[in-house]
Amino acid sequence: MIVFDQLKKNDPYLRALTLAVLLGMGILVAGLWWVQIISFRHYTENQKSQSFRTVRIPAIRGKILDRHHLAIAENRPSYNVNLYLDELREEFKKEWSRTRPPRGTKMTLAQRRALEAQARFRVASNSVQQVATILQQPIPFTFEDFMKHYASQLALPLPILINLDQQQVARLLEGSVNPPGIDLDIHPTRYYPGGSFAAHVLGYLVRDNRSLEGEVADVNFRLPDYRGHVGIEGEFDAELRGKAGVKSVLVNSLGYRQSENVWMPAEPGKNVVLTIDAAIQQAAESALQSAMAGSVRGAAVVMDPHTGDVLALASSPAFDPNLFIPRITTEEWKRLSDEKLKPQINRAMQEKYMPGSIFKVVTGLAVLEAGIDPNEKIWNPGHIRVPGRNRPIDDLAHEGEYDFKKAFIKSSNTYFISNGIRAGIERIIGLGQKLHLGERTGLLSSQETGGDFPKLVDVRRGWIAPDTAYICIGQGRLMVTPLQMAVMISSIANGGKVLWPRLVQRVEPADPNSDETVIEFPTKPPRNDLGVSQRTLEITREAMLADVEEGGTGKEALVPGMRIGGKTGTAQITDPRGQLVGHTTWFASCAPFERPRWVVVVMVEEGSSGGGTCAPVAAKIYRAIQKLETEGRPSVALNTP
Amino acid sequence: MISFPINERQPKVDWLLICALLGLMIIGAFFVYSATMASESAALTAWYNQAWVRQIAWYIIGGCGMGALCLVDYRILARWSLVAYVITILCLIAVPIIGVDRFGARRWIDLGVFQFQPSEFAKLSFILAMGNFLSRPLDELKLMRVFWKAIGMIALPFLLIMKEPDLGSALILLPVGLTMLFVAGVPPRYINTLVGASGILVALILIDVLFAPPQWQIKLEDYQKRRLLTYFGIDGASANATPAQKAEARRAQRNYSYNVDQALISVGSGGLTGKGWRDGTQNALGYLPRAVAHNDFIFSVIAEEKGFMGSVIVVALYSVVLFTGIRIAGQARDRLGKLLAVGVVAMLFSHVFINIGMNIRLMPVTGVPLPLLSYGGSSVLCSLIAAGILQNVYIHRRS
Repeated sequence: MIVFDQLKKNDPYLRALTLAVLLGMGILVAGLWWVQIISFRHYTENQKSQSFRTVRIPAIRGKILDRHHLAIAENRPSYNVNLYLDELREEFKKEWSRTRPPRGTKMTLAQRRALEAQARFRVASNSVQQVATILQQPIPFTFEDFMKHYASQLALPLPILINLDQQQVARLLEGSVNPPGIDLDIHPTRYYPGGSFAAHVLGYLVRDNRSLEGEVADVNFRLPDYRGHVGIEGEFDAELRGKAGVKSVLVNSLGYRQSENVWMPAEPGKNVVLTIDAAIQQAAESALQSAMAGSVRGAAVVMDPHTGDVLALASSPAFDPNLFIPRITTEEWKRLSDEKLKPQINRAMQEKYMPGSIFKVVTGLAVLEAGIDPNEKIWNPGHIRVPGRNRPIDDLAHEGEYDFKKAFIKSSNTYFISNGIRAGIERIIGLGQKLHLGERTGLLSSQETGGDFPKLVDVRRGWIAPDTAYICIGQGRLMVTPLQMAVMISSIANGGKVLWPRLVQRVEPADPNSDETVIEFPTKPPRNDLGVSQRTLEITREAMLADVEEGGTGKEALVPGMRIGGKTGTAQITDPRGQLVGHTTWFASCAPFERPRWVVVVMVEEGSSGGGTCAPVAAKIYRAIQKLETEGRPSVALNTP
Repeated sequence: MISFPINERQPKVDWLLICALLGLMIIGAFFVYSATMASESAALTAWYNQAWVRQIAWYIIGGCGMGALCLVDYRILARWSLVAYVITILCLIAVPIIGVDRFGARRWIDLGVFQFQPSEFAKLSFILAMGNFLSRPLDELKLMRVFWKAIGMIALPFLLIMKEPDLGSALILLPVGLTMLFVAGVPPRYINTLVGASGILVALILIDVLFAPPQWQIKLEDYQKRRLLTYFGIDGASANATPAQKAEARRAQRNYSYNVDQALISVGSGGLTGKGWRDGTQNALGYLPRAVAHNDFIFSVIAEEKGFMGSVIVVALYSVVLFTGIRIAGQARDRLGKLLAVGVVAMLFSHVFINIGMNIRLMPVTGVPLPLLSYGGSSVLCSLIAAGILQNVYIHRRS
C-alpha cells in the first residue's frame, strides 16, 4: 500500500506530510459522507422543494344516472386557451435585447426589473392579441393580471379564455399555426344535459379546491375543482368526486416550467345510479309546469308503492345547475334567491305544507278501524258546529245524507269531523305515527323537513275539540311534505306497508370492468306497518277510485284505459290574523286500481283547488306512464330544452 | 521497491501516477461536458468551441508539456528557477497594468490566442525557486538571514497575487512555502513562530473584517469580505441599522451564499450513487449558476451525478497522486528533488482540499480550481506541469 509504505519510512518529515495528507483526505471523505449519505434526505428535500411545484389535478366527477342508465349529470369537454410562458422565454429575451436601453445606461435594479417585466408583458400581450384577432373578439388582458400570474404561478399556464364555444374552437383550430405560447387545452367539466331537469334531486356544485381526506394535501397549486353542494351531488360528493391526483412540474432556477410528471394519477369518481326514471321525471316536470299560468310553485312525486323507489321528484320553479359552472353570476344568484319563488327549495320534501283533504284518507282509515259502518249515513247541513268554537266549519259538500264513499268523493268535512271525533284523536295520531308523519324519511337529509304532527302527549294536555276537528280534515296543527304523502298513499296501495323511500340504487365504479365493488342500496324492509285490516284498505282504495271515476272531486284525473284512485285536497292558508290568503292544493293518487304500481302525489301552492289544479297534472303524468307502458321507452338522451 | 537497475538512457516513468492523472482527465472531460452542455446555447456553438473539446485540447497540450519537462533534468531546470521567478514577478506586476478584467477581478494577461493567469504559473515558479533556494547545505538553513530571505520569497508573490485580487491563489502559497520550509529542515522553532504569527495575523484580520467598526477595518475587496461574512454566517448589518437595512443585508447575504447553498444541495442530493451522468437537475435547471458549474464548482456536478461513490473515486484518485508524490519525494536523489516533489504535493493538496471543502462548506468560497477537473487552460497546464515535475524527480531518482 502506498500509504503504509510511506509511514514506515524513517524520514520523519515525509511521515508527517503523509499523515497530514491522509488526515486532509479523511476529513474530505468524512465531510462528503456526512453531506451525501447522512444528510441526503435533507438536501434531496431542499432540491425538490426548490425545483418541483406540485399541482393538484381534480378527478373526473362520476356520472349521475337514472334507473335505466341514462346520464342526467355527466362531463363534457371544456376548451380553454392557455398561454404557456415557458414557451415564450426566447421571445422575452429577444424583446428585451431589442428594446433595452443602450448598454452602460445607469439604472437601478428595480428600474431594470420593471423594464424587463414590461418587455415580457408586450410579448405575452402580442400573443393574446393574435388570439383575439383569430376569434374576432376582444380578450381582456392586463399588466396586473399578467404580473400576478408571473409572480405566483409561473409554473402553470396562464388561462386567457375559458369555456370556448364550438365556433371559437373551430376558428382557433382553422389557423395552421397557433400564436407563440398559445395552446388549446381540454378538460372535463360538469354538464347537466337536461338543464334544469331534476335539478333539485341533482343539486349543484360550488368551487372548492380543498383536498379531501386521503389526498395529498400539501401541494403548491390547485386546479379549479368543485364540491357538490346539495342534492345527490352534495350527498354523494365523496363518491362522485373521486380522488384528486398530483402532478409535479419541474421548474428551473427562474421558476419557468421545464417538464411535467404525474406523480399520482387522479382516480375518477364513481357513478351514482338513481331510482329516478328520466321519462317519468320529464313527464312530471312538464305536467307540473302546465298546472297553471305563470310560474308554478309546486311539486310532484311519483313512487313505486311496492319498493318505495322514487321514480320522479319534481319541484317547480327549478334552476339550471349548469349556471354554477364555472361560477354563478350575481344576477343569477339573486334570481335563485327570490323570496317568493324560492327556486332552490325542493318543494317535494324541503318545505312543509298543510295536507287539507288528502289527510281524510288517514281519518277514513281511523273511522273504518273504529268499527264505524261505512254505509252508515250522516246528515250534512252544509256546515258543522264543533264544541268550543263559535263559528261553524263550512262544508263545501252539498247538504244531504252522506255515507263513507260519498263523503270521501265529495270530501265532506261534516262526515269526517263527526266520525273522526267518534273514532278518537288517539287513533288518528296513532296512524300518523305509524306513517312517521312529523319525521324525516332520510332521503337527501340536507334538504328534508320532517313536517309537524302532534304527539299523543299533545292531545292529552290542552287539547280541545276544534283541534281534533281540524286534524280530521287535514288542517291545523299538522304539516306534511309531498314525499310523506307519497309514502302514505303507497301504504294504502301496497297493503299497509310504510316504506322507506329510496332514491339511490347503487354506486358503481366509473369503469364497469374494474374490480372495484359496486355499493348496492337495496330496498329496505318496511319502516312500519299501518296495522289496519285489508278490508279497511280495500274500502279506502274503492273510495279513491270512485273519487276519480264516479264524478268525485278528482274526476279530472280520469285517464281512459287506466283505473286511477285518488283524493283531492285544498288546504286553506290563513295569515296570523285568521284571514284566508290562499290554498295549498293537492292530489294524491295511485294506479292501476287492480294492483297499484304507481303513486302520484301533486302539490301546487296557491292553486285554485285540488281537483281543478292538481288532478289534471296527475292525469298527464299517468298518460305519460301509460304511453311508456304501451309504446315502450324512447331511446333518446336528455337535451337542454 | 524497484529492484532492477535503472538505465539512465531509458528512464522509467511512474505509471501509477500517469494512470491516476489519466483517470482524472477522463472524469474532467466528461463532467465539463455535462456541466456545459445542459444549456441550449452551449449545444449550438461549434464543436471546436465547446468547453469539453477545449478542455481535452488543454489536456493534450499539458500532457506534451509534461513530457517535454521530463526530458530535462530537474537540476538543470532549478538553475533557471530564479529567472522563472523573476519573470513571474514581472508578469504579476504587469497584470494590474496590462491585464484584462473578468468576473470583476484582473487576473489575466491576454496573449491573443489565449488569456493566461500568471498567478497559476507563479505557484510553479515559486516551487522551483523555493526548492532551489532551500536545497543549500543544512547548516545555512539554520541562519536567520536565510530564513528571512525565504519568507521574503513567499511574501512577494503572495502580496502581488493578493492585490489582483486572487485570495485563493495567494493563500495556496502559504501552505506550500511552509511545507517546503518544514521538509527542508529549517529549525522547527522558526516554523512554529511563523505558523503562530501567521495564525494570529489571520485571526486578527478576520476579527477586524467581521466585527470591527467600519473606520477600523482594513480595506478588503467587497466580494472578499462578503465571502468571509457568508462563510461565518454573518449578515454584516451594523447593530443600529434600521429593519429595512437589516433585511437588505440578509438578502444580500443570501444572494452571496446562494452558490454555496446550491453546491451543497447538489452534493447532498447526489446520495450514494447519484442521479446519473447528465441527469443532475441542479446544473441543468440553472440552480447551480452556469458561470461556475464547470470550473470552481465542477465537483458539485460530479457529486450530484455520481453520488458519494463518484466523490470517493475522485478523492481516491487525488490521494493516489498525492501519496505517489510523497513516495517520489522519498525516492528523490537529492534534497532539491525531494523539496520540489513536496512542493508539488503541497500545492495539489491545498487545491483539492480547499476546492472540495468549499463545495461542502468546510471552507469559505475562494476561487481555487480543482486540479485537472475544473475547466480552464492555465489551471490544467499548471497541474500537468506540476505532475511533470514529479515525474522528472522520479525519473532521476536514486537507484
